[in-house]
Amino acid sequence: MNFDLLLASAITLSVPLVLAALGGAIHRRAGIVNIGLEGHMILGALIGAVVSGISGNWALGALAGFIAGGFSGLLMNVIITRLKGNEIIVGLGYNIVMFGVIGYVLRAAFGVSGTLQFEGLQRMPKIDIPVIADIPVLGALVSGKDPLFWLCIVLVPFLAWALKATTWGVRLRATGASEAASASLGLRTLGIRDGAGIVAGALAALGGVALSLGTVGLFNENMTAGRGFVALAAFYFGRSRPLPTALACLLFGFFDALQIRLQTVGGFSPDIISTLPYIAVVVVLAFTGIRQSRRGARALS
Amino acid sequence: MTTPTPEAPLAPNPSEPRSALVRRLAVQAGRTARLAGLPVLIALAVGAIVLLVTGNDPVQVYGRLVSEAFGTPSRINATLAATTPILFTAIAAAFAYRAGVFTVGVEGSFVLGGLTAAVLGSQMGDVPAPLSVLIPMGGAILAGGLVAIVPAVLRAFWGVDEVVTTLMFNFIATGLAGWLVQSFFLAKGQANSSTEYVAENAELPALAPPGQASVGLVIALALLVAYWLFMKHTTLGFEFRAIGSAPRFSIAQGLRVRTVLLVALLGAGLIGGIGGGAHALGLVHRYSEGFSASFGFTGIAIALLARFNPIGILIGAILFGALNAAGATVQLFINLPVQIIDVLQGTVMIFAVATIAIPQLRRLRAARRDGANK
Amino acid sequence: MSTSSTPAPLASPDPAAASCRIGARGISRSFGPVQANVDVMLTVRPATVHAIVGENGAGKSTLMRMLYGLDHPDSGTVVIDDEEVVLSGPRAAIERRIGLVQQELAIIPELSLLENLVLGDEPAHLGRVDWKAARTRADELAASVGIEIDWNADAARTSIAIQQQVEILRLVYRGADVLILDEPTAVLAPAQADELLRLLSSLREAGRTVIFISHKLDEVLHIADRITILRSGRTIAEIERGEVDRAGLAAYIVGDSEVPHSEITRGTPGEVVLRIEGVSADDDRGIPRVDGVSLELRSGEIVGVAAVAGNGQEELAESLIGIRAVSGGTIRLGDDDISSRSVRARRRAGMRYVSADRKHEGLALTLSLTDNSIATPGLTSLARAGWLRRGAVAERVSSVLGRAAVRFGSASDPASSLSGGNQQRVVLGRETSGDTRVLIASQPTRGVDVKGIGYIHDLLRRARDEGAAIILFSEELDELRELSDRIVVLHRGRISGEVDGSSSRAEIGALMLGEHHGDAAS
Repeated sequence: MNFDLLLASAITLSVPLVLAALGGAIHRRAGIVNIGLEGHMILGALIGAVVSGISGNWALGALAGFIAGGFSGLLMNVIITRLKGNEIIVGLGYNIVMFGVIGYVLRAAFGVSGTLQFEGLQRMPKIDIPVIADIPVLGALVSGKDPLFWLCIVLVPFLAWALKATTWGVRLRATGASEAASASLGLRTLGIRDGAGIVAGALAALGGVALSLGTVGLFNENMTAGRGFVALAAFYFGRSRPLPTALACLLFGFFDALQIRLQTVGGFSPDIISTLPYIAVVVVLAFTGIRQSRRGARALS
Repeated sequence: MTTPTPEAPLAPNPSEPRSALVRRLAVQAGRTARLAGLPVLIALAVGAIVLLVTGNDPVQVYGRLVSEAFGTPSRINATLAATTPILFTAIAAAFAYRAGVFTVGVEGSFVLGGLTAAVLGSQMGDVPAPLSVLIPMGGAILAGGLVAIVPAVLRAFWGVDEVVTTLMFNFIATGLAGWLVQSFFLAKGQANSSTEYVAENAELPALAPPGQASVGLVIALALLVAYWLFMKHTTLGFEFRAIGSAPRFSIAQGLRVRTVLLVALLGAGLIGGIGGGAHALGLVHRYSEGFSASFGFTGIAIALLARFNPIGILIGAILFGALNAAGATVQLFINLPVQIIDVLQGTVMIFAVATIAIPQLRRLRAARRDGANK
Repeated sequence: MSTSSTPAPLASPDPAAASCRIGARGISRSFGPVQANVDVMLTVRPATVHAIVGENGAGKSTLMRMLYGLDHPDSGTVVIDDEEVVLSGPRAAIERRIGLVQQELAIIPELSLLENLVLGDEPAHLGRVDWKAARTRADELAASVGIEIDWNADAARTSIAIQQQVEILRLVYRGADVLILDEPTAVLAPAQADELLRLLSSLREAGRTVIFISHKLDEVLHIADRITILRSGRTIAEIERGEVDRAGLAAYIVGDSEVPHSEITRGTPGEVVLRIEGVSADDDRGIPRVDGVSLELRSGEIVGVAAVAGNGQEELAESLIGIRAVSGGTIRLGDDDISSRSVRARRRAGMRYVSADRKHEGLALTLSLTDNSIATPGLTSLARAGWLRRGAVAERVSSVLGRAAVRFGSASDPASSLSGGNQQRVVLGRETSGDTRVLIASQPTRGVDVKGIGYIHDLLRRARDEGAAIILFSEELDELRELSDRIVVLHRGRISGEVDGSSSRAEIGALMLGEHHGDAAS
């Protein structure tokens, strides 16, 4: 098995995860668990493919997907914050609606069942770095990647910095940690949460763009394949901090790449590997839960 | 996490005169209709917009859906067949929610229960009649409970939030099922990955052949009655309701909080498992990929919409069953993608939990709150 | 100074000298039938520390809320800088440089102390926080009041005392000149309280004005330039520093009213039922609140527990019934050590509990009266093989509701449909039905009107006469004196004395405020 190939494919597969998980992490820091990442992703994938297909310009497609995702994130967030909908149910329902609408529109407006292809669709370019491309490991790590990979490289430290060092970041964390106290200090907590919802939707949609305008260059209604939930697992695993979250995505992307490899080689089951992110989250939750419950003074029953 | 709590007191009150009982039931029904009607209306409106945008006439489409769901005895039979799995999952969800436990893991129990029943059912060729059904169903129940056991224990003993753990276990169960099918139970000569068909004597018989509604529906209805009796007439059911609506009170009164949390989560898993088993033995007769069309999540929507009321659950399940059944055939007559059904279902789910108030009133209240808090 | 007739003797109002930074002029405020403030007068001079003292329910918090614009007077006005003003809301108060520290601190545990300090008003350029400037400002603030704070520490890892200091400094950071503190020392250990008092006097030296509510007479006498005493919503006195001593202040607070009792029956104590031996317990934050309490309860007696709020009575009540774990000591019911038994086991052994928090612990408000009447471990006796027997349920419900003479429409009505007094009767009916060996009654008449109080007292006496050992926690001294065979007084989690049920208010009041029985004043 060629390790460089495996590594390169792990990184490619983790780009959509990282984008969506970073969005989810930001939303989580603002106090909302975003179950709708999957829906935002599929929307981004579609819009990205359609706009790139019509304009023949991948950047326009990515931008359109990003903006559509922002609206999508805002819409879902408003239902949670203003209409006081339970975040879990709203998120699950939102996914169902989003997939329903997209599946419906594909058939009713485009007349296709599931897969949408455009003649003029422009995929994202792969950026080869001369010299480095030939270095083992390092070449696989950084050469031949699309622009969204480089966006991730920039985004992770940027978000970590922004959470710490900007007024937006401080207020976002304060709102997520204690909405009542933040509101009593005059913070516009609903607005802050809406902003985080927009970021979550936009980044997750960009993750979708990475799928449709990445290697394949088409849209399929099943192309997210649960990645929104893997992203959810990733930010739970990374405690909603950008770098650990991104590393969790890398790990899960590696599982994914391994699984694809093993499919051709045989041996370990891809289905079992696909459950690893979720098992990891349960383990983390169990750990923290047990540790916390050791402290309470009030007895349970 | 906040869980919606039933607003109406539903305890047995032996001394109540009949007229008061009738009045109270009427009041409850009115409230339920008001609470449940609005999400349904919003969903119809959203669906109408989607239809209009794509050049369909909503009135015509909705009319067609109604006739496809209830127009002829065979269509009613199809609706009831589609009602069966989501009646199970709705009961499962309501069972846990009554105790204030917010499980989203019924889907996983349904899937693994279905697989277990299908696999066991395919081996029942030489087993005598009642056992040939009871063994696979027993397996399904156990499998359903198995999916719920880890979240149940974590919640009851260490207070680990059940929402995320049960959500994760859905994916774990699905992955596990995929692996089991691929590695051990793959039927030969099938295009998509599925198990062998169950033996004929393991099938749940159809109620009115050739219609697809099976004895599974009867089991579901019996379970619904049992749910109602349990909540209304047993000590543990009483404790479910008390803990679900007033947790601190229940702790101070020395009610069995830990037991209730365990039973609620495990029970939801067991019921989900029965549902999966009945679906495998009664309708599809095997397990294949996509075995559950998000039945676990539809069940959540129904339970919330019905505010856990058994009659409401039945009506909600028939409503969603009708949508599923009509959606499957309506495209034969008009050029209507079946996904419109998902749009309607998802919208109902979202607005079943959202608080819809008149905007002006909301603003007024917000202003007053601002004034009060700074 | 005053426009209306002033009922109470205001000590030495000196209008000439009284430049008033903030105050109240004849403020009245009612909540339904309850008069929280009646014609209250308050004059706080600039750059002073002004203490507000009074019993629970004397109207102190209501007054503070109005000074901060959180509530509005029915009549009378708030005075700021000698001017009558209407505060439309907290924003108006903040504009006039008034800040309030409530008991529930607005400190966000996940942030650092520095982040907490500047949150909402960060020094920033283009959205980027200038942490250096923030840090400089923070250090200056801390230095100006002579304290040191590790600004980089996570708030979650710091003590409540530090958090409180940060909250006070936050007000100063945001420009507040008048600081109102609602019982700031109630949550602090003694050494921490001393440090807070030093902080307050530093603020005074820096020219700021401080108003604080306190139950602790020593600290009031130690630091306050001026003291206003409220009783039953009225200003009893406004006193300059040095004009009164401890005993005098205590007398002002508790008053000397002797409510005539129509009928006082005492119990006939039998054998010891409950032995509390050196019990200690922590509050939710892990701060020790009950500190080695020992007490014996006999059947057929009512033992009253008197304490100023926050001296461990809630925690003691909760650890007796088992909602709260004890951190030390043992509780024996008869000969059994029940210290680590569950609530269920204790209740099965005959212990009962009336919670001070009726809405969340005493009742399930959304459930029916039937449900509320039978929600005990004794539920199993109403069932056969897990199935509730209708007849037995009906019998139990009518016995519980009948015992307490609850006035209700239908037993299927939700508990929330009843008035406060009737709700509490449901609780007492339930908790005194059956074989009650020990009844832990915490603030049983809180929020109940005068007539309802009488019924509840009758129910308690009846349970006592039926042989229950009752431990009664109450903030109402007269209630304790009327019902109790003996009264123990808790102060800072310890028993500071035990007196006869017929002791005077002054005697009990002194113990509540920390004078140890037999000791010299500490």
